[in-house]
Amino acid sequence: MAGIGIVVTLLGFVITLMSLGMTDSVNARMIMSLVGIAVSFFGIMGLIIPAYNKNAIWRK
Amino acid sequence: MKRLTLLTTTVLLLASLASAQAPPAAAPPATPAATPAAAPPAATPLTDADLKGIEAPKAEDRAKGDPAGTITGTVADVPVADPITDKTPKAKGLTLGDLANLGGQNKIAINFVWTLITGFLVMFMQAGFAIVETGLCRAKNANHTMMMNFMVYGVGMLAYWLIGFTIQMGGLGGNGNLGGLVPLSSEYSIQLFGKSFGLFGQNGIFLMHNGTYDVGVMVMFLFQMVFMDTALTIVTGSAAERWKYVAFLVSSFMLGAFIYPLFGNWAWGNGWLANLGGNFGLGKGYCDFAGSGVVHAVGGLSALALAIIVGPRIGKYTRDGKSNALIGHDIVIVLTGCFILAFGWFGFNPGSTLGASTNGNLRISSVAVNTMLAGMAGSFGAMLYMWMRYGKPDASMTGNGLLAGLVAITAPSGFVNPVGSVIIGLIAGVLVCVSVEFVDRVLKVDDPVGAISVHGANGLWGVISVGLFADGKSNYGGSWNAVSGSVTGLFYGDASQLVAQLIGVSTLVGLVFTMVFVVNLAIEAIVGQRVGAKAELEGLDVPEMGQLGYPEFELKSSGVRA
Repeated sequence: MAGIGIVVTLLGFVITLMSLGMTDSVNARMIMSLVGIAVSFFGIMGLIIPAYNKNAIWRK
Repeated sequence: MKRLTLLTTTVLLLASLASAQAPPAAAPPATPAATPAAAPPAATPLTDADLKGIEAPKAEDRAKGDPAGTITGTVADVPVADPITDKTPKAKGLTLGDLANLGGQNKIAINFVWTLITGFLVMFMQAGFAIVETGLCRAKNANHTMMMNFMVYGVGMLAYWLIGFTIQMGGLGGNGNLGGLVPLSSEYSIQLFGKSFGLFGQNGIFLMHNGTYDVGVMVMFLFQMVFMDTALTIVTGSAAERWKYVAFLVSSFMLGAFIYPLFGNWAWGNGWLANLGGNFGLGKGYCDFAGSGVVHAVGGLSALALAIIVGPRIGKYTRDGKSNALIGHDIVIVLTGCFILAFGWFGFNPGSTLGASTNGNLRISSVAVNTMLAGMAGSFGAMLYMWMRYGKPDASMTGNGLLAGLVAITAPSGFVNPVGSVIIGLIAGVLVCVSVEFVDRVLKVDDPVGAISVHGANGLWGVISVGLFADGKSNYGGSWNAVSGSVTGLFYGDASQLVAQLIGVSTLVGLVFTMVFVVNLAIEAIVGQRVGAKAELEGLDVPEMGQLGYPEFELKSSGVRA
């Protein structure tokens, strides 16, 4: 699960990077950047952290 | 009633700031002058001959001393290339060329001294970080926490001298404030989307390689080194009280040698983020005046990665996930440390002009005032938030609010006006409180000092705020990141600058975080990141460092428990 989270986090950056090559529109780039940031945050907060908390010391 | 009064005060303060921030009504067109001013008489060009009549103070006058300071620092102090002496009566003597050289060297000297002294101030911030973090930890870990903050300076410097500086600044491509920095001119780039993407520099290994044994390069190294060390010392806070000392050393080395310098290159060293303006028409490219992103967000996101990997301290959460407060042992040194950091920030932000003379660098006064205003607003924001929410003005969170305001203003400090600074700082002060609660209670990530929120959340906010509040009034030699004009944010008419900033944020969250996380997973696999439970319960001072921080103190049972 944490591994998938790392990939998703990186994927968010790739989405943002692709905005530079896919369009010249400022608005489109802004939307893609925001989507990229949201995807990265989901990777960290929605996947990596829950994966670590599943085996956290306070659960034992 | 008390809360109502506080709420009213806050609303009024925000309303007055919002009205002050509103753009002024369009000014009427300037009325042309009724009669044109008389043309000034044509100036006669100055020649070397005009300099011959300038007399130096007489030796007998100098011998009497100069209590008024009127004959110290005169033409006698101008270095002359071809001085007239008894043996060379036909020498040129003082020429305009001598004066021009003196002017050039004085400009560079002023900039050297400014940048070095502000760098010394930033170095002193290490002391502030050390006592803030130590004060927020329990007494049983004082030696360990202090030692991490102490040695991060040396480990980081070694890593940065060996390779980090080369990666970050080796392809800078020149800086007029510091005499050119011509040797720092080799950037490794790839072609992507038909444009050149600078990835890392290649000159500067050991500060000897390819002409980098250079006075200007030395100034740049010192200044950038202390910035890098600031990022490294942020991480020690979030992983405090359970981080294995060996793992800390290796992790800090990797961050200082490779990860921080890579992002530093992209933002400050002529890398691809800096060139988003020139290559893709996005404002002036990614703009981060003094490092909300480069220093603080990198440090804060690294702190998040480490806090996730090492896990919460024993006793931080109950079995049902409820958070316990593990109170720090000395609020006095925490707030003292915050003051030291605020003092050091006058080096951090104004020093980032890399000069005080020419190229619009007199704006250092504006940068300094923006810095102090945002810090003030941050402390107010946090204090009022905590007061309204919990009924008391929490001291440690007020200190964190000050730091949050300073972190947030670090990127925009060179591009915004005082009202913008106060708004940025105020938002930062509230944001740090909300973020600390979110990280602690929702994410259940244990961060003993609030580093993730102070530096991570507010570092990102600072980067974004450039794209919103930059007012287009700064002018550092007429361009920024080689794009002519002043940095201008969304509220002043340029949405594309905000896009450049968002791309920077995405790079930090998506790529830098991932790099830090993966590198530290490798360290976890090789040496392990966390100390054993016995050592953690005992306190890390003796198991890890062999000595108590406070050997003559009797630690109360509540202080040494989990």
